[in-house]
Amino acid sequence: MVKLIVIDASGAEHILDAEAGRSVMKAATDALIPGIMGECGGCLSCATCHGYVDEAWAPRLAPPSEEEQDMLSCAVDVLPCSRLTCQIEMTAEVDGLVIRLPEAQF
Amino acid sequence: MAEATELFRKSDVPAHVPAECVIDFDLFAQPAPEEDFFEYWKKLQGEGRPDFVWTPYNGGHWIATRGEDIHTIYADHDLFSSRNILLPVERNEAIRVLPTSLDPPEHRPFRNLINHGLSPKVVRGLEPSIRELTVSLIEAFRARGHCEFASEFAELLPISLFLKMVNLPVEDRIKLKALSEQVNRPDGSMTPEEVNQGFYDYLMPVLLERRKNPGDDLFSQFLAGSIDGRPMTDGEAFELCMQVLIAGLDTVVSVLGFLMMFLARNPDHRRQLVADPAMIPPAVEEFLRRFPLVAIPRTVIRDMEFQGVTFKEGDLILVPTMLHGLDDRAYQCPLDVDFNRRIGIHSTFGAGVHRCPGSLLARAELRIFLEEWLSRIPDFDIAPGRTPKVLYGIVGTVVDLPLVWQA
Repeated sequence: MVKLIVIDASGAEHILDAEAGRSVMKAATDALIPGIMGECGGCLSCATCHGYVDEAWAPRLAPPSEEEQDMLSCAVDVLPCSRLTCQIEMTAEVDGLVIRLPEAQF
Repeated sequence: MAEATELFRKSDVPAHVPAECVIDFDLFAQPAPEEDFFEYWKKLQGEGRPDFVWTPYNGGHWIATRGEDIHTIYADHDLFSSRNILLPVERNEAIRVLPTSLDPPEHRPFRNLINHGLSPKVVRGLEPSIRELTVSLIEAFRARGHCEFASEFAELLPISLFLKMVNLPVEDRIKLKALSEQVNRPDGSMTPEEVNQGFYDYLMPVLLERRKNPGDDLFSQFLAGSIDGRPMTDGEAFELCMQVLIAGLDTVVSVLGFLMMFLARNPDHRRQLVADPAMIPPAVEEFLRRFPLVAIPRTVIRDMEFQGVTFKEGDLILVPTMLHGLDDRAYQCPLDVDFNRRIGIHSTFGAGVHRCPGSLLARAELRIFLEEWLSRIPDFDIAPGRTPKVLYGIVGTVVDLPLVWQA
């Protein structure tokens, strides 16, 4: 299990034990965390698992693919640290990853 | 619905279908008006019934009746193809739509265009138009104290908004809605070829004109898109735009009808939302779980055993989205509407690569509608002595919902 911290738009912190290999989106939606939808189930079709990667963690993640960047342009309130969290895999290297959620997904 | 039309042929039971799976179920049958649409579908989950049943109607097909299987079948395009999305299967030859009838990887470039056209960003931008339209429609009949909700509101809001997005005249909605009806709830009055031709005659001149003089509407955006580096053909553009029209003209309309039928009959639920409008967004999610209304098929790609059932290549499985949110294996007391319910996975918008791209637009329309209606007409009822009229088919819908209130 790998630790994942999701901070929702209200500032509430959700500390999750994610199965290694599971995406951040899946881990968060499994736990029914408010403010993240993951409408398409992770096939890069909806841009509703939008999250902000805490600064310290960004260099430790693989950069977004071209397809992710394309879908990210569909999301609202996009910042340079924005990611589609279905594309971030929980691994031992990112144990303790912190993701903040935007005000709204749409 | 005449049994005489060729739509309703019965076929023989294939050898691999066990006798205990065979039931008598016609997707296009119209049950008695007193029947509850959702309870009618839910009978397929009746005690002792296998999880997969088979009916000889409409060319013969399986029906997946349990939520988990429904979700898996929609999500797994490697085992279950989308090449046929209408029943009986011959209708798919006459009416081809994109990208709904494509499997990956061909599906992706078309879907990308729709993803961008209905993105979170686009939907947020549409909110003021949705609100303005909603308020003007309600104000048109509010002082009168009654309305026929289906024709005076439900059919007007999503369709007008949608026609605006594709920049078509709002008056054309009657013609387009009538054609869409014949795709989702065919009554035998038109052949599938005539339906397709009707869409073609209407859309093709529009699309050719937009190719020449593109605007900023959704159709022009589609036409400007690239399909694996090449432009879209006219035929592809037609099939894509026809699909988007059909989907945009016949689904939010239906959800609106069912949820208002519910709210008219359940004053306690209505009052909860009036007293606390912050409950509206979770209520929308609960309504979406409770009132799914689309049932389309998938085609088995190869001979296989799936959940203990033998499927043969080419078998058709009807996958009713209704039966996931209403499955008591997935939700406790699934017929109860509970705005505080924790809602996990359901299949109201399908699943996998074909998941409904209009789901955010639908949510925005439903939320804004409830906010604006309930603040103006908090108490209403079904007109005394009247029974709302519901139609069954690939998309279930409410066509007559007479409402009354104290003006």
